[in-house]
Amino acid sequence: MSDFVSNLSLGFSVAFSWQAMAYCFLGVSLGTFIGVLPGIGSLAAIAMLLPLTFGMEPTHALIMLAGIYYGSNYGGSTASILLNLPGTPSSAVTCIEGYPMSQQGRAGVALFMTAIASFVGSICGMLIMAIFSPPIAALAFSFSAPDFFSLMVLGMIAASTLASGSPIKGLAMIGLGLIMGMVGRDLYSGLLRFSYGVDELYEGLPLVAVALGIFGLPEVIKNAGQITGRTVKAKDISFRSMLPTRDDWRRSWGAMGRGTALGSFFGALPGTGGLLASFMSYATERRLSKEPWRFGKGAIEGIAGPEAANNAAVQTAFIPTLTLGIPGDIVMAIMLGALTIHGIQPGVSVINSHPDLFWGLLVSFLFGNMMLLVLNIPLIGLWVRMLSIPYWVLYPFIVAFICIGVYSVNSSVVDLYVLIFFGFLGVVMTTLKFEPAPLVLGLILGPMLEENMRRALTLSRGDYTVFFTRPISGMFMAMAALVLIWTIYGAIKARSVRRDHLREMARNLPDD
Amino acid sequence: MKTLFATTRRQLLALAGGAAMATAVTVPAFAQEAYPSRPITFVCAFPAGSGADVLVRYFANGIQESTGHTIIVENKPGAAGSISAEYVARSDPDGYTVYVHSGFSTAVNYSLWNTPAIDPRTDLMGVAGLSALAFYLVVGVDSPYQTIEDLNAYLLEAGDQATFGASATSGRLLTAQYLSELGASPVEVPYRTGAELIPDVVNGAVDFAVTDGVNALVQQREGRLRLLATGAGTRMEVAPDVPSLTEFGMDVDQVGVWGAYVAPGTPQEIVDQLAAMFDGVLATEETREFLARAGSIVWRATPAEVDQQMADDVELGAYLVDLAGIPKN
Repeated sequence: MSDFVSNLSLGFSVAFSWQAMAYCFLGVSLGTFIGVLPGIGSLAAIAMLLPLTFGMEPTHALIMLAGIYYGSNYGGSTASILLNLPGTPSSAVTCIEGYPMSQQGRAGVALFMTAIASFVGSICGMLIMAIFSPPIAALAFSFSAPDFFSLMVLGMIAASTLASGSPIKGLAMIGLGLIMGMVGRDLYSGLLRFSYGVDELYEGLPLVAVALGIFGLPEVIKNAGQITGRTVKAKDISFRSMLPTRDDWRRSWGAMGRGTALGSFFGALPGTGGLLASFMSYATERRLSKEPWRFGKGAIEGIAGPEAANNAAVQTAFIPTLTLGIPGDIVMAIMLGALTIHGIQPGVSVINSHPDLFWGLLVSFLFGNMMLLVLNIPLIGLWVRMLSIPYWVLYPFIVAFICIGVYSVNSSVVDLYVLIFFGFLGVVMTTLKFEPAPLVLGLILGPMLEENMRRALTLSRGDYTVFFTRPISGMFMAMAALVLIWTIYGAIKARSVRRDHLREMARNLPDD
Repeated sequence: MKTLFATTRRQLLALAGGAAMATAVTVPAFAQEAYPSRPITFVCAFPAGSGADVLVRYFANGIQESTGHTIIVENKPGAAGSISAEYVARSDPDGYTVYVHSGFSTAVNYSLWNTPAIDPRTDLMGVAGLSALAFYLVVGVDSPYQTIEDLNAYLLEAGDQATFGASATSGRLLTAQYLSELGASPVEVPYRTGAELIPDVVNGAVDFAVTDGVNALVQQREGRLRLLATGAGTRMEVAPDVPSLTEFGMDVDQVGVWGAYVAPGTPQEIVDQLAAMFDGVLATEETREFLARAGSIVWRATPAEVDQQMADDVELGAYLVDLAGIPKN
């Protein structure tokens, strides 16, 4: 307990220095700004701003980058509610109930509840991170190769099958990502694989270029010319119009609690994160509701739950990232890259060898979330006005910044070719309704997955049962199997429901 | 010595921004100027902010402060340093592009490729020695092996039932030589980074490991690892309690030296001038302390000694790569 207090006080002393507060404020403001604008997500923002942090203290750099990350999740909902355009992928769920509410003239209430639910989710996620990280970090030293492997398998199966869209397509994308993850030097032999004489691919495909190519460029290409002057007047959103009714509060509390629990769990699984958590929370609220017909027509619990889930997941995603060195999601992978750039080797010892970084970052979440509450309730009018920036001004700047951001990481032109290639691949994939997230996830986790599997088998002398007989590994494998069975069961059930439905229709057809 | 034209810091930064343009403007105007008349670029083969980058920037700042010349650090990571080594080797031999990197790693690289981009013996010219970093044989603090002799005895008895972890090519090379001297054949488990290796050494998944001085000394200080021996020929100043393998009759002497290099054909007086700049920084107590924090010691060497070390390292590297059985790309 005294450890916990001394850790927290260390965190406060780091996070409340004026530089840390300034970077935190800069981060959350930029994050909200970027989140509000449809098209660029937090990932693109972080990757673009990464080079700016090279000269900073690592802790300050991480505080700012993290601020962008969770700030964009607050801002992402604003565009979802007002324009029916998700500012970030994970706020897509908020469109379903948020936009109908704004059509009913209750946009203010939706925005207010979003901010409150985000705050509740974040703070709970942060507390969970504070309580569970030290024991997980202590346990991390007993984690061995099979355990890392199984945890990643669980994360990938959960991420590809439980999210929206077709599970088969999700698994296919993970597979493609794993294959692409093989590009570069093979750790065991030291030989280059699939690099075709391009020495720049020695370390594998450049992650920042791939991620920006596949997430940043297609959004810009897709939205260019499509978004026409649909603007919202800032004066429509007064503080008075934002106050929820007693009934709204009653419906929202439970949803927030359940959302926070779901979000905290899925956030801590590597590879899943906010998007999955918010979809799961929405589905849960709908299933639990006594009045399911209200959903899709502006049910406030359909905003409160997913928003709490999303933000809780954003905070708990830092747990595997900082305790085990396994990125919680794609943004976390970029954050790990940022740590490496700052000379901190990600791995099991970050929390022990850099306690100031870990606890300072954690306490900065508290501070950042309070600033976000101020930014998103009294100052909401400012962000709403942002939505009227014409896209023909904005998009060329975004593309230019993406290119600068990618080039500055390695000073390599090859990275720009990779960016363009994945930009076009991203457009094709979006058109064919393939999710890009599982592909990038496979690319990130691929080398770690392969190395840990080969390491586990080397240590066990080729005995595959090691993945099931070790307690930690066995538990993750069992969970992965459950998720798979549940998905297959769901698919079969959906098919039989559809078949019954068709049969019913056929029976009702008049005989000729 | 002052630069020829009195520029403000801001102007120099502007020059740094548009280096190509600045070159075009200044060079023809001063064909016979004294060296250096424009900013010198240090090429770093690691990403900005990394541990190695900090070392390069330390020398860049030190020289900038002591001489007043502007030094720019350019990060060109990739292909284990081959990209930046080739970039410097093919640059103009005018002393304005300096490669600050591990000479040992550059030497070993020559043996890792079927068609190496450069031959470091002829395509790079030594300027100054900087530092030396050793690798260590380590076990977890809970390991039954208290000394290197305990470990030797176990490895000889266990045969291929024993395992070891190694990170980085240098780690693989050191283990290869140690095991060949000992005559044991445990199974190798490779790791990408030293940090990734630590849990498996601590929890005993591998019997021992070989890792670099930075990682080994930090983990020892935090009470997780026991350092059994160093692969350097003699005990290192930063870890005087750790014996060297030579004390046990093993002919192992591997030290990762860092140096500064320029393109071949650079005039001798420019090389000497650059060497003096580095030596001024190397002579300070501050540098000794800075390097000790990174598990390294100061290596002061003349340009000729740096060239000789490179030639020796290329030969040693070829022998070790062969011994470790690492295939060429």
